[in-house]
Amino acid sequence: MSPHRFPVSTITGRRQRVALRAVSATAWGLAGLGVMLGESSGVVASAAVVIVVAAPLVRIAWLVVRWVQERDLRFVVLGLALLGVIALGGAIALWGG
Amino acid sequence: MRMCECTSDTRPMPPEPGGFFGESPDNCRYDSEAVLSPALITVAALLTSALGALGGLGGAVLLVPLLVVAGLSVTDAAPLGLLSVVAGSVAAGARQLGERSVNHRIGVTTEFAATFGSVTGALISGVLPERVLVVLLAVVALAAAFAGGRRTGLRNLPDPGLGVDDVGERVGALVGVYPLGADMVPYRVVRLPLGLSLMTVAGFVAGTAGASGGFIKTPAMSEVMHVPTKVAAATTTFTIGVTASAALVVMAVQGRIDPVASAGVIFGGITGGWLGARVQAKLSPAGIRRGLSAALVVVAVILLVTA
Repeated sequence: MSPHRFPVSTITGRRQRVALRAVSATAWGLAGLGVMLGESSGVVASAAVVIVVAAPLVRIAWLVVRWVQERDLRFVVLGLALLGVIALGGAIALWGG
Repeated sequence: MRMCECTSDTRPMPPEPGGFFGESPDNCRYDSEAVLSPALITVAALLTSALGALGGLGGAVLLVPLLVVAGLSVTDAAPLGLLSVVAGSVAAGARQLGERSVNHRIGVTTEFAATFGSVTGALISGVLPERVLVVLLAVVALAAAFAGGRRTGLRNLPDPGLGVDDVGERVGALVGVYPLGADMVPYRVVRLPLGLSLMTVAGFVAGTAGASGGFIKTPAMSEVMHVPTKVAAATTTFTIGVTASAALVVMAVQGRIDPVASAGVIFGGITGGWLGARVQAKLSPAGIRRGLSAALVVVAVILLVTA
């Protein structure tokens, strides 16, 4: 299966790089502030956790959007199914707990 | 306000059950600070992330066993390990995207199986006995030690007919081209079903033991699915973040995430990963990997003995 048979994806990662740098800097800053505040860092520390945990999931959602633009429906379905599995896991944990 | 009945810590429970981080299964707010100070956890995360980045073994597979040996339960340590995985994945992602070695389509395809495994692992880890989790963690540490000490890569041959414009993944297929110096190397995925099975195992490891599972994913991609090692490693860095996030969503609902300790892990993890990447060029990764593998064997033995 030669790569010549398929069009090159337009996803170069340029925008992802900028976003990932901003996210990791923000999470690092909030987490550092949380470490300094110690016991009273609840909101700040929680914000750092939310940002870090959400970042990969938002990245998947963004890829799904880009794949819609590239009309690559097979991977759009896969990406949505992946997000669905994650949501289902959270729902099961909520109902089971 | 309720008092915790499960540990010696008498800190009152959160007044609202099912709050942001949910209610834990036995109505106790697991408090990592009762066992280890946030400063110690931060330093541990920094050191293990730096060493993991140096040796390519990942930080969580070192951090989680160390925290357990130091007195934390696996149930408490696993979320911290996964947070260090996600933090490292996010921090390293920008650099690897710049190298054009991440194949997102391969990543999402394999990640579907891995996430299924990690969500399953996270759901059942909340009810498994602690001893079972400790033994599983020891097995994971041994497997990581073995994988790290024997790493080999399958080398795909460059194609002189390809140019810079051919670099990247392909629309509609698990195929791609990546740059290797002045050469352009094509690759395509083979043995997908076997690869997906291994990814499910990797995800299960992440969900139960709190390690990234990268020591399974990268060799599975490179040696089973014939993805070039560089692409496999970069794509794995992308996917372990998703796997860890999936498990953390479950653990957050289960009430297993301690925000204060988590902040220390995130801060230490990102800082350590950055430091490790800076120093990596000056040291021998193979030598560091062998040292880390030896340390993991020692830690695994300690875990098995104490279990």
